[in-house]
Amino acid sequence: MLEIAGVTKRFGRILACDDVTLDVAAGEIRGLLGQNGAGKSTLMRVVGGVLRPERGTVKVDAEELPVGDPIKANAAGVGIVHQHFSLVEAHTVWENVTLGDEGALDRQAAIARVDELGERYGLAVDPRAVIHDLSPGERQRVEILKCLRREPKVIILDEPTSVLTRQEGQRLFGVLTALVRDTGRAVVLISHRLEEIMATTDRVTVLRDGRVVATHRTGDTTAEELAAEMLGRRLSLVDDRAAVGVSADELADLDVGRTASSVGREPVLELDGVTVTAADGHRLLDSLSLALRPGEIVGLAGVEGNGQQALVDLLSNVLTLDAGEVRVLGRRVAIGRRGALRDLAVIPADRQRSGVVLQMTVAENLVLNQLGSVSRHGVLRRQRIAVRARGLVEEYRISTAGVDAPVWTLSGGNQQRVVLARELSRGTPVLVVAQPTQGLDVGAMESVWTRLREAADRGVAVLVISSDVDEILDLSDRVAVIFGGRILGEMERSAVDTDRLGLLMGGVAS
Amino acid sequence: MSAAADVAPVDEATPGDSGALARRARWSDAGLFAVLLALALLLALALASALLAVADASPATVFDAIIDGSLGSAPALATTLNHTSLILVVAAGTCIAFRAGMVNIGQEGQLSIGGLTATAVALGLPFAGPWAVVIILLAGAAGGAIWAVAPAFLRFRRGVSEVVTTLLLNFVAFQAVSYAVNQPRLLQEDVRADSVTAPSPQSNRLPDDDMLPALSSGTGYRLHVGIVIAVVLALAVGFLIRRTTLGFRLRVFGFNPRAARRLDVKPGVMGGGALIASAAFAGLAGAVLLTGVTMRLQGGFSSGVYGSFSNNFGWEGLVVALVATYDPVYAIPVGFLFGALRAGSGALTATGISPTIAAVVQALVLIAVTVPALLIVQRRRRREVQALRRERI
Repeated sequence: MLEIAGVTKRFGRILACDDVTLDVAAGEIRGLLGQNGAGKSTLMRVVGGVLRPERGTVKVDAEELPVGDPIKANAAGVGIVHQHFSLVEAHTVWENVTLGDEGALDRQAAIARVDELGERYGLAVDPRAVIHDLSPGERQRVEILKCLRREPKVIILDEPTSVLTRQEGQRLFGVLTALVRDTGRAVVLISHRLEEIMATTDRVTVLRDGRVVATHRTGDTTAEELAAEMLGRRLSLVDDRAAVGVSADELADLDVGRTASSVGREPVLELDGVTVTAADGHRLLDSLSLALRPGEIVGLAGVEGNGQQALVDLLSNVLTLDAGEVRVLGRRVAIGRRGALRDLAVIPADRQRSGVVLQMTVAENLVLNQLGSVSRHGVLRRQRIAVRARGLVEEYRISTAGVDAPVWTLSGGNQQRVVLARELSRGTPVLVVAQPTQGLDVGAMESVWTRLREAADRGVAVLVISSDVDEILDLSDRVAVIFGGRILGEMERSAVDTDRLGLLMGGVAS
Repeated sequence: MSAAADVAPVDEATPGDSGALARRARWSDAGLFAVLLALALLLALALASALLAVADASPATVFDAIIDGSLGSAPALATTLNHTSLILVVAAGTCIAFRAGMVNIGQEGQLSIGGLTATAVALGLPFAGPWAVVIILLAGAAGGAIWAVAPAFLRFRRGVSEVVTTLLLNFVAFQAVSYAVNQPRLLQEDVRADSVTAPSPQSNRLPDDDMLPALSSGTGYRLHVGIVIAVVLALAVGFLIRRTTLGFRLRVFGFNPRAARRLDVKPGVMGGGALIASAAFAGLAGAVLLTGVTMRLQGGFSSGVYGSFSNNFGWEGLVVALVATYDPVYAIPVGFLFGALRAGSGALTATGISPTIAAVVQALVLIAVTVPALLIVQRRRRREVQALRRERI
């Protein structure tokens, strides 16, 4: 039904899909598994005509689709349910479902159609309800109805359960299975949840680094095998460095073993049963507990969207706790109160949005949260700011036209360094870094890692939150896995078993 | 990717370049501005001349009148500076709001209400003189500030755009002033027993001692200290924004509220405070207009034309802040230009040219000055956006 042949798509230097070939038969539910950045979504966007591949073809029902034309792809029978809702919140369900139609709107007919589809597929939603008032599960149903209304031959679901409760997810898959069996459609289910893949799909394909690494009949494989394939025994970092010409001697310097004795006993940051709920009632953090001791690097692994953002926001003092407590240096802190977390240096993942102020200068960004030390009676001491900034620019090798250049003139890597330099130079006992090397090249990555190790050696407790397992394994003394807003498992680095790690990330707590 | 990255990071290929690019671009910004300004002025002059030719007036006479009327004599210069003071006070306040990302477009109303409260206080005070003037000016600022409390509250408690509320409150303010000066029991002037005419829609005249002190005066002109107040305030706001921790946090909030939240900046306090402060400046301008020029509150319908007390000074202050890219120090020369144009076109009407044509000529010159400035700002923005896009790929 769906034949993907030799699809290759690159973004700049990154090869997102590398010669991917995939056939999905009528009546089949195919799982597509892979880590963040493995190329799943890119591949499906190529199928949907949103992206134009460099090479390769997509056929539906043996008809080749014109590349890069979402409307023709849709007409040819490809329906996509996106991971992030693309609904107009202020409009009603029926208006959203008919969105994109041409000609006069027939309100009655549209409402009847939504009702009929809802009944047929067990996806009942009130057609007159306004999207704004619906739960995530109901919104998901509207997205699916939107897709089904065009009677697609191929249905692609991109992480459909990431915003659903367990029950909502199970119901969705019940509907999906019936739908496929009864109508001979082909479904591609993109997910990182192993349980879902095992329970719902007929066959499963694992992507890694843009390539197909394996395809199995779901009945013939196990969650363990899939987890191992998803993570892979990737190039070790040593190979990476060798590949880019760093000599073995330099490596020896970089990998100076950090002795266990440098790790203190008393935790400096303790999260105890921390629970945070979003406005829609969705649990962002669900009685999460974690402790950091001085001098250790704890890696928090997990697929994006499992509560990492909420954790960073909480530690940045911009969320409020619903339950549990946070202790810093043994003292309970009142989250939300001004300066409550001043002993924490936090580097958020969305550095461009909340880590730096792009329109302000490099110097200003370097002292952003340390105004007290560069001012007197509320007046900034420009000399002091300039001296501090020049020192940091040199120490952290920030490449800029000058400390007075606006930060937007810097590359992503250098913006990152600005944030890193600022937070590390604060000398706080705790450092929290989200996705420390996202978007950096190997060289810049290495220097960031070295900085983090140095900080730990100085006795700073470092929490590294990353969806890149290799990064976690390379940096951490201890590894914790976050899934669904809670810590699903924790282990010493030396005791890490990649299979178990993969299972934990897929939500299987052994 | 290259191994040398750690020493001379690979991603420097772009940033190193963009740093140099930015410097070069800033240079060409200035050059481009000069060229655009020259072109725009030429075009404006050509259009104005054509228009005047149609209206049977000599362009040369008209432009002479504009220059003479704004700069050509002591009285002309005094008028220009008196206008400038009002425009500049409004503009300095507007810079505070815009720097905090708050779009206050209610200066006209805030200025009117400032005039109203200043009048009420001045006429109610049992004494006159320098201290009374200070109190009257503060009363004006307080009146303007009050006019922005509701927009600030609605913005941060209810999410109502301050653009809409501040704008609409202008019309409420005009009506309030008009009502006050049409009600004998409020601020309408007292009627003398022997008067044959009905009272006008205006307040009583303030005591002469409540007049803003003059810097210089002569036959037919009086330059009041407003210009000194305005320049000092503009410099003070400039200092506040650029050199203080408060101004720093204000700018962070204006550019990036998310980053500001991480600095424990409270949106309601910072944003609402900036909005109210900017309105206080507009209100102060109202009090300066009252004590410096009109000496009484006027408003309401006169000869069929709706005249507001604020008389467009609020709008001009807003435009000056925009053209000065929200920098109160740049607003000083820009404000002077606007003050001069206003004085010049006032003089133009005196030459017998219809006020309509005078207004069009004034507008043409203003557009010629502002459009190049805005084009430059837009260009800079576009570069920022492009830089962002480059990063996000």
